[in-house]
Amino acid sequence: MDAALPEVPAARGRRPWPMQLKAGLVIVATIIALAVLAPWIAPHPWDTISIRTRFQPPNATYWLGTDDYGRDVLSRLLMGARLSLAMGAGATLFAVAIGVPLGLAAGYFRGWADELIMRAADVLMAIPAIMLGLLVLAVTPPALWKTALAVGFVYIPLIARVARSVTLGLAGEDFVQAARARAEGAGYILFREILPNAWPPLIVEASLRVTYAILLGSALSFLGLGAQPPSSDWGLMIAEARQFIDRAPWIALAPGFAMCLLVVGINLVGDGLRERLDPRLQRHAPKA
Amino acid sequence: MTAFVIRRLVLVGVVLVAVSMLVFAITSILPGSVAHLILGPFAPPEQVKALELKLGLGDPLWLQYWHWVSRIASGDFGRSLLMDRPVYPLIAEAFARSLTLTVASFLLIAVIGVGLGVVAALRHNGPLDHAVSIGTYLGIAIPEFFWAIVVILVFAATLGWLPASGYEPISAGFGVWLRHLIAPTLTLVFAHLAHVSRLTRSSMIEVLRSPYVTAAHAKGLPERVVVLRHALRNALLPTITVLALDIGRLMGGIVVIETVFAYPGLGRLLVFSVQSRDIPTLQAAILVVAGVYALANLVADLLYAWLNPRIRYGRSVA
Amino acid sequence: MTLAIEGLTVRYRTPGGDVAALSDVSLSVARGRTLAVVGESGSGKSTIALAVMGLLPAEAQVAAGRILFKGDDVLALDPERRRRLRGSGMALVFQDPFTVLNPSLRVGAQIGEGLVHHRGLTREAALARAVELLAEVGITDAGAVAGAYPHELSGGMRQRALIAGALASEPALMILDEPTTALDVTIEAQILDLLQDLKARRGLTTLFITHNLGVVHRIADDVAVLYAGQVAEQGPAREVLTRPAHPYSKGLLAAIPRLGARRDRLASIPGRLPDLRESMPGCRFQPRCPFAVEACAAPQPLALALGRPVRCHRAEELADAAWPVIAEERPGTRSRSMADAAPIVEAAGLAKTFTLSRGLSALTWESWRPRYRPARVRAVDGVALALCAREVVGLVGESGSGKSTLGRLILRLQEPDAGRVRIAGEDVTSLPQSALADMRRRAQIVFQNADSSLNPRKTVGEIIGRPLRRFAVVPPREIGRRVHELLDLVRLPAHYAERYPHQMSGGEKQRVGIARALATRPRFIVCDEPVSALDVSVQAAVVNLLADLKDDLGVAYLFISHDISVVAHLADRIAVMYRGKIVEEGRADEITERPRHPYTEALLSAVPTIDHAPRQRLRLGLEQPRSGNGAGCVFAGRCHRRLGDICERKAPPVRQPSATHSYACHIECRPE
Repeated sequence: MDAALPEVPAARGRRPWPMQLKAGLVIVATIIALAVLAPWIAPHPWDTISIRTRFQPPNATYWLGTDDYGRDVLSRLLMGARLSLAMGAGATLFAVAIGVPLGLAAGYFRGWADELIMRAADVLMAIPAIMLGLLVLAVTPPALWKTALAVGFVYIPLIARVARSVTLGLAGEDFVQAARARAEGAGYILFREILPNAWPPLIVEASLRVTYAILLGSALSFLGLGAQPPSSDWGLMIAEARQFIDRAPWIALAPGFAMCLLVVGINLVGDGLRERLDPRLQRHAPKA
Repeated sequence: MTAFVIRRLVLVGVVLVAVSMLVFAITSILPGSVAHLILGPFAPPEQVKALELKLGLGDPLWLQYWHWVSRIASGDFGRSLLMDRPVYPLIAEAFARSLTLTVASFLLIAVIGVGLGVVAALRHNGPLDHAVSIGTYLGIAIPEFFWAIVVILVFAATLGWLPASGYEPISAGFGVWLRHLIAPTLTLVFAHLAHVSRLTRSSMIEVLRSPYVTAAHAKGLPERVVVLRHALRNALLPTITVLALDIGRLMGGIVVIETVFAYPGLGRLLVFSVQSRDIPTLQAAILVVAGVYALANLVADLLYAWLNPRIRYGRSVA
Repeated sequence: MTLAIEGLTVRYRTPGGDVAALSDVSLSVARGRTLAVVGESGSGKSTIALAVMGLLPAEAQVAAGRILFKGDDVLALDPERRRRLRGSGMALVFQDPFTVLNPSLRVGAQIGEGLVHHRGLTREAALARAVELLAEVGITDAGAVAGAYPHELSGGMRQRALIAGALASEPALMILDEPTTALDVTIEAQILDLLQDLKARRGLTTLFITHNLGVVHRIADDVAVLYAGQVAEQGPAREVLTRPAHPYSKGLLAAIPRLGARRDRLASIPGRLPDLRESMPGCRFQPRCPFAVEACAAPQPLALALGRPVRCHRAEELADAAWPVIAEERPGTRSRSMADAAPIVEAAGLAKTFTLSRGLSALTWESWRPRYRPARVRAVDGVALALCAREVVGLVGESGSGKSTLGRLILRLQEPDAGRVRIAGEDVTSLPQSALADMRRRAQIVFQNADSSLNPRKTVGEIIGRPLRRFAVVPPREIGRRVHELLDLVRLPAHYAERYPHQMSGGEKQRVGIARALATRPRFIVCDEPVSALDVSVQAAVVNLLADLKDDLGVAYLFISHDISVVAHLADRIAVMYRGKIVEEGRADEITERPRHPYTEALLSAVPTIDHAPRQRLRLGLEQPRSGNGAGCVFAGRCHRRLGDICERKAPPVRQPSATHSYACHIECRPE
């Protein structure tokens, strides 16, 4: 006894990309471009120690000043961008690569597979994220790639949960039943019916997850469990700058603001994507 | 309702046991012998062997686990490898201090965050709402450690109002104790306010759009009544969920905050034990944290169930 | 005049443009009378209710017009006075009783709170009054219900409670927005009875919004027909329903399947609703009107014709013209051919029980001992059914009857707990899913919700082409051609193959679903409420299509629906289900004209019809939980002809008044 579906079809024509999406993409693309080109565009070598140029505030030669070793903050910032971005992206990719199939399986097959995966997720999520990361990194010598894996590991249950709930919702739709009524195998249904509808919300979730990965990874670096000196990502830069915060605040502030900018940019992209991808599939004329 | 409580308790127990297995597994199974880690890569093999024997690492894994878990259950948390002292009192002290910090922060975050979220939702699309939205957008982008640096920079280095680090017990004077508590608390609050107010705002907006709120308007009830009696009551439930989620993040937050402010709580203890490979302390600390987190979630679940008539009163009458 | 709407125009701002939800609508409701506003989706009828109450959302804007309530223009009032009118001078009963009650407040409190704020009663006095009102609306245990939470009540009870709430402040005007659409038909009948009763006792003035003309016939004094945001015609209900003046009204009335006039072809209204974002100077119905002439392109004012306002310049001359029944491309009589003798589907002893809570959540406590008691629902309980080729068997039941589950059990889209199914002679009960490919080719399904049954990411061509590919019905290079043939078969233009579902209307999507089901040339199709989600005018076209396809392609249908009028129109035989059992089965004419089981009887009497006077009113009691060990009759708890204890204790025997007619009841009837 549902109310009748409106007979008028959805709004025609492509809607313009939301403002947020454009702004976010500009920010993120710029940062990525800068990071990729860093070795070529950095004005000064990022790892040359020079006692003479220590603690210079931002000036014409060193746009963001120098740190306690006399190194140019801007150049270090650019090189650090590569590490932070790589870590965020790597961790998220890892989490998605494992979490999405698990979530899909749990949501589609249900039964004991679902129970098992969800209980495992519960157990992993019983420990706060950063502590789980600490636990994993405690038993092995630190290295940035290990940090990325640890962060990815921490977020696997979250991604799996999201993938599961998306799959659950889709598996209940009649077009999946229609596929079963065609004796389609599980593989076809998962990959050709469910997944094409699942990837928009998953993409949104993954993009937002990158921000958390960057923040968590930087926190671990800050604690000394990420990048190792002399190379440093933004987290480690801030850690190293801590003791000089009263003398030379710019050393810490620069990577801090850069990280905020990056995270805001990625959030804008994620929100913009959500705006764009979801309503298109569910548009109806207003009920009268 | 009783059945619900018992079910939940059983679940918590099961999860904690599983967590203990997980913790044990991670610290035992990952590559790199624990003894090597403690003694360094250049230690002579006999020393390594001796340490391994001492730590009981020669036994099969399940036996090691069993020994460890039964000791923990009887209150023996082992000895710290770093400080060669029993772990239990170490953790107990640190826990008490972290608890103060966490509870203080949580209360502030709950009141301010939820308040901001609710008010922003009520003035949806108004200037206050936009301000709050932008504020939260920026707020979630700033990592905790950066907040800490900023707080230290502003309040300690520049204004000199608060000490930059350290801790004094209450015995040294209430005022002194409080002063050392303020900076870390403030940082935690700043760092987490955004999340809570954002989620509260969106769940409140959803409640305000629900059919029963429209129906309340249709009855011609004054706005105040609609909001207080109809909307807020139902917005309480998702708020509990939001706050429960935040507890976990808050507990994670103390790790960084206590390290930066040299506040001798459980978070800082954890970091030290990681840095120095003090495995027994690490294991015990994580277990304690998981236990507290599970307990907090349990309380939240029970509160939720109690406030939700559907769960509290069960199935149909007519 | 309690309510007089003059020239109301309301526009909604949407990203796709401004939608003219209402254009120059004028209506009036006299004191003590009931005006029904009838329209399909997109007609603007709900907007009227919201506009009168002042509950229009922010995107809506009243562009013109006045709403006079007892002489004052409510649109000109300040918000505070407007608010005081709501819930005291005028009350609104919403459509969906499930979401409109606050889940955290007790029912009695919600009913009485209007009184606290408008009349200044104390909480206790308001609660006492609420209990009185609940009793007045026919709730027997009013005190208990007042103290209950909404989730503890059934749909019918909730709607009664909402009506009680609306009555609380003795409003001068009651507005009801599709109050029975979400309810089962037997419950709907009770609520309509209640409304008539209240009207008689209290002299209520009512504005009743609905899409169902049968309901209009039952309770309305006057009716206004809305189309695309305009009033098409208005007048006393009796006159409009027997002698419709506007072509749209004629079309609507002709499209409704009637229990009496069986098997004649339904009239359908071709085309689709106009896009309200575009401006339409002339008659909005013109593209779909069989009586259209050149002059229809001019703006059509509301003029008097046949003694009442009609928006059609040809109304007088078409006064006696009936809506033409178009035979579409395949003329020729619908053959009343006897079904082939060989059964295509044979199902026996089918049963399916759903466990609602499992694992830890099934643990409950009884006097301090733990008990494992999972909540179970017996959706289908020992059902036997057979269909022959080219036969249509209608499966009728209300919500919870198990009819949808039965359809899926037969197709093994859900696994039966017990029983056997044979399709085209092959026993398919215990085959593994992978071996069912043959059966799947021969037995297909059409779903209710066209939105959910088509993958939004695939084009129509891909959707219809997939079964062709999967079962290699035609060689790959022929697929495109065959897709076009199938589109043609369901009367959709060939270029639709490139369209995506969100670009089509509900009726069109449903046709695609039918085309997909037909792709493998099945011999049997389960139609699971295929037209329930469609507007009446579109429904008729799809029903006609299904009938034609059955004749031309020789397919058998299991036509599942809650609407017995639609079923009776198409079906050769009808089976009536109640709570998992088939309580009566027989030829369509036997069931509709000579029902034997008390439930069928009550169902038929509950259906709101248009033409003849309503049958004898048989009203069922409230739903009772199944008592005891479930040995007795499923219907015993509500039966108006309950004999006595025997009905609960002993399973009713199956009686056969004729070779084709059987029912399960303890009551003996005369043989036919």
